[in-house]
Amino acid sequence: MGSGAPPRLSRWLPLQQGEVLKLGLRNLYIVPTGFGWLWLGGALFLQLVGIQTQTNGSVLLSFLMLALQLLSLHLTHGQLEGLEVRCGQPEPAFAGETAAYPLIVRVQSACEGLEWRLPPGALHGVGSLGPGEHPLALEWTPGRRGLQRPGPLRLQTTAPLGLFVCWSRWQPPTAQLIYPAPKPGPVRQVPMANWRERTEAVGALGGEGSEEWQDLRPHRRGDSSSRMAWKLLAQGRGAQTKRFQDPRLEPSLWAPDPTLPPEEALEHLCDRLCQLHRQGQSYGLALAGLQIAPDRGSSHRDRCLEALALCQ
Amino acid sequence: MGLLTAAAWGVAPFSLLGGLSLSLLVLTALKLREAKQRREYRLVSLLQLVTAGLLGAQQGELGSSLLQGLAVLVALAGLLQLELGEVTNLGKLLRRSGQLVLAALPMALVLFLLFPRLGPFSDLGRLGQFGAAATTGLSTTLEPGTIATLTQDRSPAARVAFPGGGPPPASQRLWRVLVHGQFDGQSWRSLNAGMAGAGMAEADIAAGPDPSLGAPQTPGATQVWLSEPNGLPEVPWSGAGLPLDRHLKRDGQGQLRHDGSVGVRKLYSLAAEPAPATWRRQAPTAQDLQMAAGTNPRLETLAAGWRRQGSGDAQAVGGAKAVEGAKAVEGAKAVEGAKAVALAEAWFRQQGFRYSLSNPLLPETAPLDALLFEQRQGFCGHYASALSALMRAAGVPARVVSGYRGGTWVVPLGGSAFLDLRQSDAHAWSEVWIAGEGWRTVDPTLWVLGGTTGGDPAATSVQAPSAGADRAGPLDWVARQWWGLDLAWGEWWLGFDQRSQERLLQRLLGPYRDWAGALLLVAVALTLALGLAAYGWLRRRGEGDRLQQELNQLLRSCARGGLVPMPGETLGQFGQRLRQARPLLGPELEDFVGLLQQLRYGRPGAPQQQGLDRLSRCGQSLRRQLRRSPS
Repeated sequence: MGSGAPPRLSRWLPLQQGEVLKLGLRNLYIVPTGFGWLWLGGALFLQLVGIQTQTNGSVLLSFLMLALQLLSLHLTHGQLEGLEVRCGQPEPAFAGETAAYPLIVRVQSACEGLEWRLPPGALHGVGSLGPGEHPLALEWTPGRRGLQRPGPLRLQTTAPLGLFVCWSRWQPPTAQLIYPAPKPGPVRQVPMANWRERTEAVGALGGEGSEEWQDLRPHRRGDSSSRMAWKLLAQGRGAQTKRFQDPRLEPSLWAPDPTLPPEEALEHLCDRLCQLHRQGQSYGLALAGLQIAPDRGSSHRDRCLEALALCQ
Repeated sequence: MGLLTAAAWGVAPFSLLGGLSLSLLVLTALKLREAKQRREYRLVSLLQLVTAGLLGAQQGELGSSLLQGLAVLVALAGLLQLELGEVTNLGKLLRRSGQLVLAALPMALVLFLLFPRLGPFSDLGRLGQFGAAATTGLSTTLEPGTIATLTQDRSPAARVAFPGGGPPPASQRLWRVLVHGQFDGQSWRSLNAGMAGAGMAEADIAAGPDPSLGAPQTPGATQVWLSEPNGLPEVPWSGAGLPLDRHLKRDGQGQLRHDGSVGVRKLYSLAAEPAPATWRRQAPTAQDLQMAAGTNPRLETLAAGWRRQGSGDAQAVGGAKAVEGAKAVEGAKAVEGAKAVALAEAWFRQQGFRYSLSNPLLPETAPLDALLFEQRQGFCGHYASALSALMRAAGVPARVVSGYRGGTWVVPLGGSAFLDLRQSDAHAWSEVWIAGEGWRTVDPTLWVLGGTTGGDPAATSVQAPSAGADRAGPLDWVARQWWGLDLAWGEWWLGFDQRSQERLLQRLLGPYRDWAGALLLVAVALTLALGLAAYGWLRRRGEGDRLQQELNQLLRSCARGGLVPMPGETLGQFGQRLRQARPLLGPELEDFVGLLQQLRYGRPGAPQQQGLDRLSRCGQSLRRQLRRSPS
């Protein structure tokens, strides 16, 4: 209720812009809800009954309903008046998935029954906010990769009685980085010519891992007891520590499959990179005009995904 | 819902409004059952409000009004709950809705007082009487024996308050309800509404714009009645007064009819009328002489003797038979009426009749003969029937009137003083047409009891028909206090109508009466601002830092006992000082201080709400103890 009429009206009303949205008389709109009209009808009906039967009870209740409606007009407006909204720093998210868009809402006195909506989506209730600053994470589903701004944000309330709906629309200025939607599919692998020599050098430096058993060395203080070769100790062959090393997979550069439509290819590549990251493998990225050397870790992944997101 | 159902208790289900509100009530209940979405719940709340308003149109007394008000509060609380979205407790919601109503009330009252009132659109209000099932109370048919059961019944019948004056002297406390004009030899029937009202009902003057509007001399109410449902459209009144309610109509026989639903309590008021009541001078018709000749032969013989005595001068003996029209009756019986009454009184006093509440049943044939000449005992209904029959047999127009007599004057602690009428005060008497005087009230029961008729106050000391003396138990006492408040409410609530509004405007504006519209606008704007400010203040008071509120409350309680924190004293130190001053407060005070400090400065993590609740309980108990031992 209440979400029916205003959107139609909203198209004719200016969309608020700017870093900070401060709600006031100039950017808040208020109209009666369907229920508000029904309420007015109820009050008039009681007034008619009161006039016809000449009883004070119905007349007083009808005036009380009218007075509540008039009061509610101001109270509903007062809920949003003075509210300040600005954007937080949004975290990157994937297209097609639910993303959290941070907002910081500053409330002067109190705000009740606050609701918001980012298109396309339904209204979400926030509830009551006391005085002070409140971080809000608005959920929305971005459709495309890139630096995206969610559509116009609609903040509204019908509190306290649901007779009026008061709203404002604002375009949040801060863009959110959106990675391509990860979809499994073919990608192209670009072999690296000089990889073998480089890794040999790295291996000589004594890189240790935890996957594959390598050999034994004498136990030293500080070695983990879980790596102690207990069997040998029991056989009386002294304290030995097991050494492990990670498997050496051949890292490579990955590129979008040129036979596919570019966006689709990027989505497949995004999925592959995420997969490699989960497996802890080293990977690099080769895009048109951009190459990222193979590496591991979250920051590397973020760098690659950002490159995918912003790839033109 | 329960509240509404309680409020709807006693609404006549077959009247237009009653049916509408009951069906709305059922609809609301069904809707509430199936409601799932917010909009549906909203609708339920609105339906509840409208139903409360409809009930308000039917039941205006204090108890019902309170219930209706409560139902409105609950409906608003439901709406608030929907909007605030969080499950708060009912007490908090009710408080919020109370705040809203308080904020809106000034504006509603301004509108109520100043908004121009309109008269009713049409006479739809009459639809309401096709379910007139007789409940207890007076009966339209008076057969000796029916009131015997009534007199035993101590249940309330009606209350009447007299604003601006005390009760009438006891001798004048006859409250008429029904006029029984149709006699068939055995029973007296009341003429039904259609017949009695034909051409005789007086238009009620309260409805519609008064030509003399603006003249503030319109009298205020002098009788405010609250009549229990008795299954009849006729309601008790003193027989004089101007109905102030458009539902009320006086008819030519001196009956007062209320065209509201018969199954509900009626609250109505009458104003003093300078001219004597017109029904007393309404000439009798042939109906008032109608007599099933031959049904009570001995009675008729007796009456024939009186007729001869009374008309000994010159009148023809058969004159009564020739009488067909009212005019003729008046002319022919000029002397006879008063004389016949005098003869009857003398005869009644000689006969040694006995007043008794339990009497053997009278035979079906010639019952009045059996009463007067064999049984010689009975109560008011018997004697009034017999006297009226005798008068008719003697050629004097007469009828039986039933209603109430006497009543207990109650001065409650609060509210209006009122006359309390019980069903046991039910009474029947006769009315005899005296040419040149009109309908005279004649109470043969007083003759039987040895009192006198007329204005002799001595007669009043005889508690004639009422069996029980005034046995007021504690429950009666409580009920009477309540009724006093109820009537005071009724006086105020019913009293405010179009004319009172006009008087108010006249007083407020005087010669600037045309500015009423502007005044209304200004007043609405002012009360809107006032309401907003009041609401804001109430909300602020109810919110804020609860810890500080709790502490402040406790400090106020301490300050009343002369214990004030010194400058620079911490809460802990003050607590210790307090413990020394009031050793009894010991453990709870420690708890309070500990909790407060933990909640304010302690590590967050412990459930905050539980701590706050404990703190508030602790604070309450401490304040109670401080109140009990102020020094």
